[in-house]
Amino acid sequence: MTVSSYLQRRWDVVLQLTLEHLIAVGIAVGFATVVGVLLAVAVYRNDRAVTVLLVVVNTLFTVPALAYFGALIVLVGLGWTSAITVLAIYALLPIVRNTVTGLREVDPAIVRAATGMGMSRFGRLTRVELPLAYPVILSGLRVATVLIVGIAAIGAYVAGPGLGELIFSGLGALGTARAIPEITIGTVAIVLVALVLDGLLALLGRFSTPRGLR
Amino acid sequence: MTALALDLDEAVVGRRQRTLLRRARFVGVPLAVALACLAMYLYVQSQDLDNIERRIITFANIRRAAGEQIEIALWATALTLVIAVPLGIALTRPWARRIAPIVIAVANIGQGIPAIGLLFFVYIQLVRSGSTATVLGMAIYAILPVLRGTMVGLQQVDRGVVKAARGMGMGKGEVLVRVEMPLAVPILLTGVRTALVLTVATAVLAAFIGGGTFGSLIISGQAQGRPLAVAVGSLGAASLAILADWVGGIVEDLLRPKGL
Repeated sequence: MTVSSYLQRRWDVVLQLTLEHLIAVGIAVGFATVVGVLLAVAVYRNDRAVTVLLVVVNTLFTVPALAYFGALIVLVGLGWTSAITVLAIYALLPIVRNTVTGLREVDPAIVRAATGMGMSRFGRLTRVELPLAYPVILSGLRVATVLIVGIAAIGAYVAGPGLGELIFSGLGALGTARAIPEITIGTVAIVLVALVLDGLLALLGRFSTPRGLR
Repeated sequence: MTALALDLDEAVVGRRQRTLLRRARFVGVPLAVALACLAMYLYVQSQDLDNIERRIITFANIRRAAGEQIEIALWATALTLVIAVPLGIALTRPWARRIAPIVIAVANIGQGIPAIGLLFFVYIQLVRSGSTATVLGMAIYAILPVLRGTMVGLQQVDRGVVKAARGMGMGKGEVLVRVEMPLAVPILLTGVRTALVLTVATAVLAAFIGGGTFGSLIISGQAQGRPLAVAVGSLGAASLAILADWVGGIVEDLLRPKGL
């Protein structure tokens, strides 16, 4: 069986798994963005807290995916929840790091000017600092997205969603005609998903960043 | 796309913070790992293991898993560096100016390749040995970020400095060895660390193709419904990866040229 004949016969499955992959990555990045930005906003003024947060997030990032899946099988069991939780953990590092960087890079003079105009701390954050940090935060989101699109493949081991299922099923069918097409299609489709999402986020960055900040 | 930098924290925080960060890491990280392993040891001791658990969770198994994982990671890291660093140097020479952006673009796309797909592909198409396939697959996987790091590092060296060195009568090779390389050392070292952490972490995937490592404890534990074995394997894999990052960080600090 060749890659193209496999695709002809089972394009619907490939399409469905691709959609699952997108949904899982979307949920994980969304979740990580909310948590990551809130954490970064909570600590960015305090040097010590920033250090602690970065050490923790960095350490979480170095742990192998399979180790997380192992731990979550024990704690949560198999399924989407385990897979998406792990993806969100990995997405946290680029998002937290970039949000902290973006917020800390805002020119203090601008913040003082905002204070002088009578803005409250919350107003300064939401109307001055976060908009100025937005491009940096978005690029963190982009890195996180591409990264977890690849990691999501391993999620199939815990019965998670997505194209990893093809890769694992190909390995399981070792020696049969569908092994190679399945692994190839799964891998290439994941790279394509990463490329498309990366491109979309780049476009989003272009159109949503105020002209003065580009 | 920005790099998958494991260590940009230092760019985020200032110099004073960096010292703080280093100290926190130097002591805190191994301490936390040791405590977690001790807790796991005591917990396993307190449990009544059944036959299967007793067969999977042994010191011999754990030692072998750690050995396999470290060995795979070291070979893969060595292979990565031997290929990526010279290639990175070659591609930043003036004659390669046209190819360099293409290579960096490809390296960026490479970040999206799922390690597991690459690994299975190497195993099925190239070598039918779990550990050799993992070394090869992980090297291919890690080459892209390290190559990218080397190229960006060398490109970042101030052109003025290079011209000044040429003006002082240095040859092109001399400029590379005595000026460009030392200035690019921090980025090179980050590359080494990236490769090491990436390969130690992904080496566990070897278990899927019979290459051992802590992954095999996780997988056989899961296959036989023994969560305790899964937990021991997970902790082992996590500890090794965290310690690899720790060692990488220390090496980076020690080898960084003073004054940079």
